[in-house]
Amino acid sequence: MERMSWLSKLTPRTGGQRAPRSASLQPPVTADPETCLMVFKNHWAQVLRILERRGNKPAPDDLSAVRNNTYQMLNLLAEDRPRGDGDRSQGNGDVACGPILEFVAAENLLERLLCWHLQGDFTEERKVEQLKLYEMLISQARQPLLRHKSVLTPLLRLLSVCAEPASAPLENSLVLLLNQLCVSVAREPAILELFFHSHTDQGPANLIIFSLLIPFIHHEGTRGQQARDALLLIMAMSASNRAVAQSITDNSYFCPVLATGLSALYSSLPRKIEVRGDDWHFLRREDWIGVSSLVLFMNSLEFCNAVIQVAHPLVQKQLVDYVHNGFLVPVMGPALHKTSVEEMIASTAYLDLFLRSVSETALLKTFLRFVLLHRHDNTTILDTLVGRINSNSRLCMVSLSLFRTLLSLNCEDVMLQLVLRYLLPCSHVMLSQKRAVRDLDIYGKTAAKFLSLIPRCCRPESPPSPCDRDEEPSARARGHSSPGADPPPAPKPSTPSRLSFFMRQASAAPTEAAAPRSPGPPTGSPPQPGARDEVAELDRNYLEYLRDARHSIDRCAWACRVWSAPYDGEEPRAPGPVPNPDSPPGRPLGPPTPRTKKRGLPEEGAREVPGGPLGGDEPIAGGPGPDPQDGGTLVNGAHGAAEPVRPEGDVVVKKVRRSPQGEGEGGGGTPNGASRAQPPGWEPLPSVDSLLEELLARTPAEPPGAGVSIETFTEELREIEAEMQNGSVGGAPATPTEPPEPPLSHEEEEAFASFATLPEGDAGTGRAPPRPPDPLAQVVASPPRAVGPPPNQPFTGPFVSVLFGKLENMPHNSLYVNFLLTGLVAQLACYPQPLLRSFLLNTNMVFQPSVKSLLQVLGSVKNKIESFAASQEDFPALLFKAKKYLIARGRLDWAEGPGAAPALRRSDTLARSRKPSLGELLLRHANSPTRARHAAQLALQGLRDGGLHPLAPPARHGEALRVRNAVYCAVIFSEFLKELAAIAQAHAVTSPFLTE
Amino acid sequence: MNPFWSMSTGSVRKRSDTEEKTLSGELRTSPLRASTKKQLPSIPKNAVPITKPASPATSSQSTNGTHASYGPFYLEYSLLAEFTLVVKQKLPGVYVQPSYRSALMWFGVIFIRHGLYQDGVFKFTVYIPDNYPDGDCPRLVFDLPVFHPLVDPLSGELDVKRAFAKWRRNHNHIWQVLMYARRVFYKIDTTSPLNPEAAVLYEKDIQLFKSKVVDSVKLCSSHLFDQPKIEDPYAIIFSPWNPAIHDEAREKMLTQKKKPEDPHCKSMHVSGLSWVKPGSVQPFSKEEKTMPT
Repeated sequence: MERMSWLSKLTPRTGGQRAPRSASLQPPVTADPETCLMVFKNHWAQVLRILERRGNKPAPDDLSAVRNNTYQMLNLLAEDRPRGDGDRSQGNGDVACGPILEFVAAENLLERLLCWHLQGDFTEERKVEQLKLYEMLISQARQPLLRHKSVLTPLLRLLSVCAEPASAPLENSLVLLLNQLCVSVAREPAILELFFHSHTDQGPANLIIFSLLIPFIHHEGTRGQQARDALLLIMAMSASNRAVAQSITDNSYFCPVLATGLSALYSSLPRKIEVRGDDWHFLRREDWIGVSSLVLFMNSLEFCNAVIQVAHPLVQKQLVDYVHNGFLVPVMGPALHKTSVEEMIASTAYLDLFLRSVSETALLKTFLRFVLLHRHDNTTILDTLVGRINSNSRLCMVSLSLFRTLLSLNCEDVMLQLVLRYLLPCSHVMLSQKRAVRDLDIYGKTAAKFLSLIPRCCRPESPPSPCDRDEEPSARARGHSSPGADPPPAPKPSTPSRLSFFMRQASAAPTEAAAPRSPGPPTGSPPQPGARDEVAELDRNYLEYLRDARHSIDRCAWACRVWSAPYDGEEPRAPGPVPNPDSPPGRPLGPPTPRTKKRGLPEEGAREVPGGPLGGDEPIAGGPGPDPQDGGTLVNGAHGAAEPVRPEGDVVVKKVRRSPQGEGEGGGGTPNGASRAQPPGWEPLPSVDSLLEELLARTPAEPPGAGVSIETFTEELREIEAEMQNGSVGGAPATPTEPPEPPLSHEEEEAFASFATLPEGDAGTGRAPPRPPDPLAQVVASPPRAVGPPPNQPFTGPFVSVLFGKLENMPHNSLYVNFLLTGLVAQLACYPQPLLRSFLLNTNMVFQPSVKSLLQVLGSVKNKIESFAASQEDFPALLFKAKKYLIARGRLDWAEGPGAAPALRRSDTLARSRKPSLGELLLRHANSPTRARHAAQLALQGLRDGGLHPLAPPARHGEALRVRNAVYCAVIFSEFLKELAAIAQAHAVTSPFLTE
Repeated sequence: MNPFWSMSTGSVRKRSDTEEKTLSGELRTSPLRASTKKQLPSIPKNAVPITKPASPATSSQSTNGTHASYGPFYLEYSLLAEFTLVVKQKLPGVYVQPSYRSALMWFGVIFIRHGLYQDGVFKFTVYIPDNYPDGDCPRLVFDLPVFHPLVDPLSGELDVKRAFAKWRRNHNHIWQVLMYARRVFYKIDTTSPLNPEAAVLYEKDIQLFKSKVVDSVKLCSSHLFDQPKIEDPYAIIFSPWNPAIHDEAREKMLTQKKKPEDPHCKSMHVSGLSWVKPGSVQPFSKEEKTMPT
């Protein structure tokens, strides 16, 4: 979707139009002014003779005589130049007007002429004639004419005569003249002042322009276009002229007509979108350009966008308000809540299209405000849309597309409502883990974890390596119980091979890529060796995922600079259980859990109802689990103290379970301390580890458990923190430093002391790690067990629940749903905010028992796929075909895709050509149906020998469909895991310059 | 957009499309910038170490398709993450750059601006064990053996181990080694020295120690323009000031500092949206009229 850029279209058009015309109409030889004046007077004398013949109707001869003479006269007038001005370019200033114009003014010639016309039978035809003449005059004039009353007054009078609805030719001429008028006004804004002071029968002159143009705002074709262009020019002028803006908002119907016109146009949009393929899920330009009602709507929406872009804030605000109250609320709201699925699909797709098309921030804001906050039938639009993800395929796909659009805005408000506000209280993690929110996984553990979830049946090699054998059963056994509890088995190839990997000898450069590759034993029975290689490429595309992940994260991080807070678990603080007093009543503040009754009960209902059909087999996180009654008492603090105990015990169990696999890091250093302060097996968490280290180091002499209380420790940490915030003021005496640039700042000293194992006594005052921008060395001011309001009921929000529910159901989703779904989750995972990042990607986090982690969900999908594969004898062959098909389809589409970068196409590595395949092409197809069919046919032809067809065409009966979905899911799932792994890795290397 | 799944390049708003292009353009140029960065900037805070784009592509494909094949990615990314942490630390006067040939070898230089070693410019190389982060601590070897109690007078190796007896993943980071390397020049430690002569002099005859240090600093400076000890495209090379090359770069640096926003805004036109009032968690809580444009 291209951005709306009205002005860029506008400028060349008017410019290009003028040049040829003035060239053609220009008299070949410009006679000297005196001669011209003589000729002009001559014509006028002839006309005058007719004009003065009062009384009867003019004879036809008279009419044509006047017409001819007037034509000549106006041409001469247009050619008239200001006196003493040889050079036309400086014609504006205070130059005296030209001789003919002077004469015209003296004789009040145009006015008299018009009066004569008005006396008689002023037919439409004659009106058109007059309009055309004036249009010619204004567009061709060599001097500013409109500032002269003798021109302006008759012109306005003529316009007011044309106010009534009329035939198409008249309207065309009228709009053209008005357009020309606006162009002139835009060139010479001073004229606008004159308009204010000239009055016509219809009121102030500036208004007549409006009132005449406004009816054409929503017209199609050139007429509407010219009218909109003309209005836009005035709007642009309003930007610097408050009076104009005021008169637009106060005295014209411009904004209401424009906004409510959208409503009218919307009502004529198709209620049902004729869909060509089962993969269609959003409206592309190709889709709507052929639907005239949609084109009309989009023109007007584009126009709104353009007006907001150029107009004065007053106009902007009025228009935005009218769009909200005159279109979104009364029309879009109900449309989104229509009961028929077809209508829901259509309205969702429309909304998505609108959101993608609007480029002006103010207008976008209004749309988003509508989506996020407006309540229809007591449910926010957002919640309704979230719920739709849960529905069946087409509506689900359209909704997913809409959310993709929303996420791509990188809008804080959207993310806040969708996800972040549910994560803010950090109640989804164990209290003790709050500080780990900001941890970055720099060793790729998360990535390893995700990759380990690739189902065995989808792995490239048939005999799993010993390493695989080791981790596989345990990983499965752990499955749901302790996600992310254990460190991933670090893949350890022999040292030499790793070394060789890092030796980027020139000789080992690109050519090497293809050569020594050992073709992974195919999982199926491939028809040709070539195909096998191709498919095997899927196993080697990780680098591309890394590249793309880096790119996406960088972009997202950069875009999020404008956000108000980092969402790192500390800032912003979660709102307390009491609703924020200044929040608008009736709007949800916090998580709509039963516990926080005051805030979001209506949403709760909305969340669970649509959750029914598909999410049935898995509990939506937070849904069935918590007991509302229990929650209610907790709000009052009754169980405040008891609450943390239960989950804590749970953690202990998990930790014990995973401790055998613990990597033992830091274990040596903190044996007794750890057991005193924390449950055993605590150490794998780096931050806690380091904190404990500090704690121990601080109190070497004191018996464990006696001297250091959590409180004093916290206090000290606070002090240190405060010191660091004030620069090195506090603890300076430790190191005598030179004034200008202390060689070792206090801060640095402390930092050093924190990590180095220096001889005892050298460590100085600060034992805590510093708090530099480095998120890895975090010190959290709050004690491990925060004493505060009881945590909210852990619920990560309807959006996450629905996505996770849908993810869990992956093996049953259609191919396209899975594409969109995994894409959306990946998009979400690219957000750099620690709260979100840790929730999705920190596999070390221990969540509250009722909170499902992404890893758990993926683990269950893995299990489903594996059991399906086990039950399906020919799974390897099917999988191979599925890959093959997707690749072929992708390549075809990619090759012909207009957007394909030449660089990509020319690249000879298979991996490259593979890349766009699965994703790009699938949706590319959706986008251009004919090409899609064609491509699919080709792909099928090419693959028929391979016996692919059972997979490719839409299966007729349920069983085939089920198998097909599951097999495609296996392919997508594996790729998705790689993508997530790459994203997890890329987060650790995001450049600090993007966020600072 | 995500690589595999971006089903609809067309659906993405045009804005982001173009951004994407410009952004990738930006990325593409970064190696270039990185290489022009061989000349050390005169103003430390101004220096923007460019993270070298990871390019483990070339040989990764040769490994078998097992999980093990991802191992190198972890290692390289861990090192890249370490490098990112170094950048975040903004250690005054310390610059490093991973070598072209191996991510396990980093070239560096340290400028000492105060104290006994004032005006010292010491080039060094950091060697990271290939079983990082589970191995020993990285080694740091100065190109020329600086006269210092903790620097081996023959090999130039700094005694890093004393500060990092046990290298612990998650807890220890390479920036700490660099910080340590800087620190030893400001806080002289003479216990169990690698250079006993220096240690003894420091304790017994500080004047002689100082003059030896001055000599050592001078020696290092006199070899500043030498060819790098290890040949590598990303090795740090010093050269005399050449107005034809350096003036422009200097100018760029200085102007960039003045308006850091501009170049970015132009190259990456991505902007997110926010109407949230700082401190609030309410959508659209920001005052009107202050909306981002």
